[in-house]
Amino acid sequence: MAGPSASDVRAALSLGEPSSSTPPHASATPLARKPSLRKPEGMPRELYQLIGPSAPTLIEQFAKPQLKQKPNLGSGGGAGQDGNAVAGSSKVKWEWRTFKNGARSDGLKLSHWVKADTDPNADYPFAKYNISTNSYVYSQDEYTRLLEDKEWTKEETDYLFELAREYDGRFYVIGDRYDFPNGSHRSLEDLKDRYYSVCRKLIRNRPWGGDEASKNQLLSSFQFDKDREVTRKQYVASLMNRTPEQIAEEESLYIELKRLEQRERRFKKDRDELLRTMLGIESGLADIPDEDGLSASASNNNLSISLSTSGLSIDTSNKKRKKGNGDVETPISATPSSSSVIQLSQPQKKQQSAKSAAYDAAQCIVRTDVPSNASSNKSAHTPVTLRSFKIPFIKSSNQQKVTQLLAELKISNQRLVMPTRDNLAKLEGLMEAANALIDTKKLVDKVEMDLNVARARLGMAVEGGEADAAPAGGSASASGAGGQAGVETQTPGAMDVDEDAEGEQEDPVDASGRGQSVVSTRSTRSRKQARRSMSISSVDTAATGAGNKKRKR
Amino acid sequence: MVNYGGDEVAATVIDIGTATLRAGYAGDDTPKAVIPTYYGYTTTEGSNGDGDVTMGEAEGENAPPKSASKVNMFVGNYGPSVWRHGMEITHPVKNSMIEDFAAIPALITHAFRDVMRCEISDHPVLVTEPAWNTTANRERMAEIMFEEFNVPAFYIANTGVLNAFAAGKGSALVIDIGRSTASVTPVVDGFVLRKGLTHSGLPQLVEANAQHILTNPGANRPGIQLLPHQLISSKQAVEPGAAPRFTLREDRATGTTDTWRNWYESREVEDWVQSVGGVLDQGWNEQAAVTRGARHYEFPTGYNYYFGPERFNIGEQFFTHSASLASKNQNLPLPLPTLISTSLAACDQDLRQVLVGNVVLTGGGSLFSGLSDRLANELQRNFPHVKIHAPGNPSERRFGAWLGGSILASLGSFQQLWVSKEEWQEHGKAIISQRSPSPAL
Repeated sequence: MAGPSASDVRAALSLGEPSSSTPPHASATPLARKPSLRKPEGMPRELYQLIGPSAPTLIEQFAKPQLKQKPNLGSGGGAGQDGNAVAGSSKVKWEWRTFKNGARSDGLKLSHWVKADTDPNADYPFAKYNISTNSYVYSQDEYTRLLEDKEWTKEETDYLFELAREYDGRFYVIGDRYDFPNGSHRSLEDLKDRYYSVCRKLIRNRPWGGDEASKNQLLSSFQFDKDREVTRKQYVASLMNRTPEQIAEEESLYIELKRLEQRERRFKKDRDELLRTMLGIESGLADIPDEDGLSASASNNNLSISLSTSGLSIDTSNKKRKKGNGDVETPISATPSSSSVIQLSQPQKKQQSAKSAAYDAAQCIVRTDVPSNASSNKSAHTPVTLRSFKIPFIKSSNQQKVTQLLAELKISNQRLVMPTRDNLAKLEGLMEAANALIDTKKLVDKVEMDLNVARARLGMAVEGGEADAAPAGGSASASGAGGQAGVETQTPGAMDVDEDAEGEQEDPVDASGRGQSVVSTRSTRSRKQARRSMSISSVDTAATGAGNKKRKR
Repeated sequence: MVNYGGDEVAATVIDIGTATLRAGYAGDDTPKAVIPTYYGYTTTEGSNGDGDVTMGEAEGENAPPKSASKVNMFVGNYGPSVWRHGMEITHPVKNSMIEDFAAIPALITHAFRDVMRCEISDHPVLVTEPAWNTTANRERMAEIMFEEFNVPAFYIANTGVLNAFAAGKGSALVIDIGRSTASVTPVVDGFVLRKGLTHSGLPQLVEANAQHILTNPGANRPGIQLLPHQLISSKQAVEPGAAPRFTLREDRATGTTDTWRNWYESREVEDWVQSVGGVLDQGWNEQAAVTRGARHYEFPTGYNYYFGPERFNIGEQFFTHSASLASKNQNLPLPLPTLISTSLAACDQDLRQVLVGNVVLTGGGSLFSGLSDRLANELQRNFPHVKIHAPGNPSERRFGAWLGGSILASLGSFQQLWVSKEEWQEHGKAIISQRSPSPAL
């Protein structure tokens, strides 16, 4: 075609193909030997690859070093002495030839190098780039009918269209060159507005061959809103004309805003975290509804032994809260401790049409709602499970005793004959009751023990009289220390009746050695109690809890 | 190569600047002929003894304005720089505009016939012009090309646009610092926006200032004599700062003209500026100037000296004018930051971001040590997203406009734009403005 390519240049200089510069032996030998290169039977392929004759490095290593091949210049020496001329590369003849450029209106003949075998009558290959945008032309009649504008004369409009044609609609250039004699000053927007409005009018009023859609599309491409454009330019100008102080102020305000937002987010995150630790993961705090998603997330809970968090939702209702990771709460996994909440609030049912509810009841269908925020991520997804997988297990420290109790009742908590929903709920209730019973039993035992000890001590005191007063005081201080430890282990904000009971319970003077063990059991229990109390406790607890946590950081 | 759109038709490109005339074949990356635009002439009988002197072109039409029976012109690299008895120096280009067309044919002929050794009438010619060229000037140039050199085709292109093309950009803010003029040209889609065009004779001020610094006594040195080496017969090596010991050539005392001497002195100054001059990248700061160290320079007289902070004073003129200088002189040429901000202020809001992101720094004067860094700093202070294209290759900056012309004239799609001789004969001068749109005011 019009210009030489790399291979053309090679051909013109009679240089071989790039590969021919390597020594001919090196390239010839592997080719020659190729047929005999068969892997011997019984030899592992890996081994053959390592030691086999195909290793190219060996050939290069043992090939005789050669001088660089002599470039085959000149037309005569088609084949060199050693016969290594590249087969198939025929000479390309180039010639300096005049050409006619189709894009030119005159008869200028320029010359360039072309391959001799190209068609001398072919079009100049670059003539096809001579394209011009079609611009709109209007007649005098059309102008008087449609395009009259008191701001513009026909002459000036003509001038504008002439410029637009000359500069192919580059309005920046048109605006720069626009200089109509005796005309008023026209801004770029004035020019664009006039040009586009004239074009629009012409399109609208001329017969249109195509369909409406394409017409509208064409019209929209000529849409121009001058006021909007002017306003935008003014805005850009005001942005550009800001002083460094203004820019700095804006920057600092922006940073401040970001910081506030960040603080807010962190605050919320902290509180969520705290609430979750206090209520326990099984409390379903992850589903604490935000004010606008109340019904949706309440429906998440409607199967659980509804941990209604309405109390909580009220106190958090003035803050937008991001939902947690959406642990799907199953009815059975609701902890025994949460049962104490049930009485406090009403379970919230999802609104269902009466008909579908009746149908569900008839068909024993229980609808578990997918959490509203259940996204496509894996963690939020609950796969299909057997009900038997949801048999509750005892999660308290007195597991052994509960198991024992159940064994006495001849109930296996490992395997139910019919692990239906109701049965599971009943089993759970039973376990809870057993747990509570054992707790109570323990408490009773301890109180009795304490009573006994106190009684015994009282008896001793009566016997010993005042002489024993001093040692008794010492032990009292020791138990006081133990009591303090017990208080400290309680999570902040747990204010409950149980706490009072425990406080009372600590009051009795105790032997220091025993006190230690009491503390350890108490600490676990108190944590549980705190959990239970959380649901009852009001906003204040949550707030102080969050506050405490924050202060710690 | 079709991919690149190139199609060479053996076109030539001529770029006439204040200092040098560049000529060469389109498609090359550097001009074949670079000759000074200055030329010498004698009105007496010139001595024909020098073998390497270019002589001739004494036709009446081309003769310099001095009316004389016989005029010898000395052009080319061995023209004005060689001492000749009674030779005057002049140059046809003032402020980047050709003012004296009489000498132009001689210069072009020398470049083509004696340096490139080709016949200009065989080749289409692309000539460059500054953006503020007048219509009369470009038509005169076309006339010379068609009528005197009989070229088959001619085109005249704008240096600003060509510089942008040389940098591979269609839209750019071209900052061109030449020998006599610094200009800022906004180019959009290959068109100069004439409203944003600014230029000033800043380099002349820098040179005058440098000459002032040199010839006046400095802090620890006397004023320096700028004697050309052609006038010195012998000299002895002296310590830095010591008074020079040299003897003048008595035989040349009478034949030396003032114009030749002035021209050579400005050459001396230019040499010195290019060797030791610099500009601090963060604005004038005495401390910083001291820490940058002194630089040694030896003059033809043998006087040599370590130039300290004063060498950074030279470049400062590109950016700021001292208050004392400004008060004394009302119409000082505008410094670069003013030129740039004026130019941008005249452009459309939407264009400024485009232009600032495509700043092209070019021209031989932009090779001044530290200038591009300083300019980048100055611009970054005012425009956050500035991006400066300053080729590291000196010849790309010195011959930026020529290079752009070389690219343009070797494009296949350009070949339809030539003004052919046929068109010239048919339409006359009007065809020039019609074919290559002029931003002329």
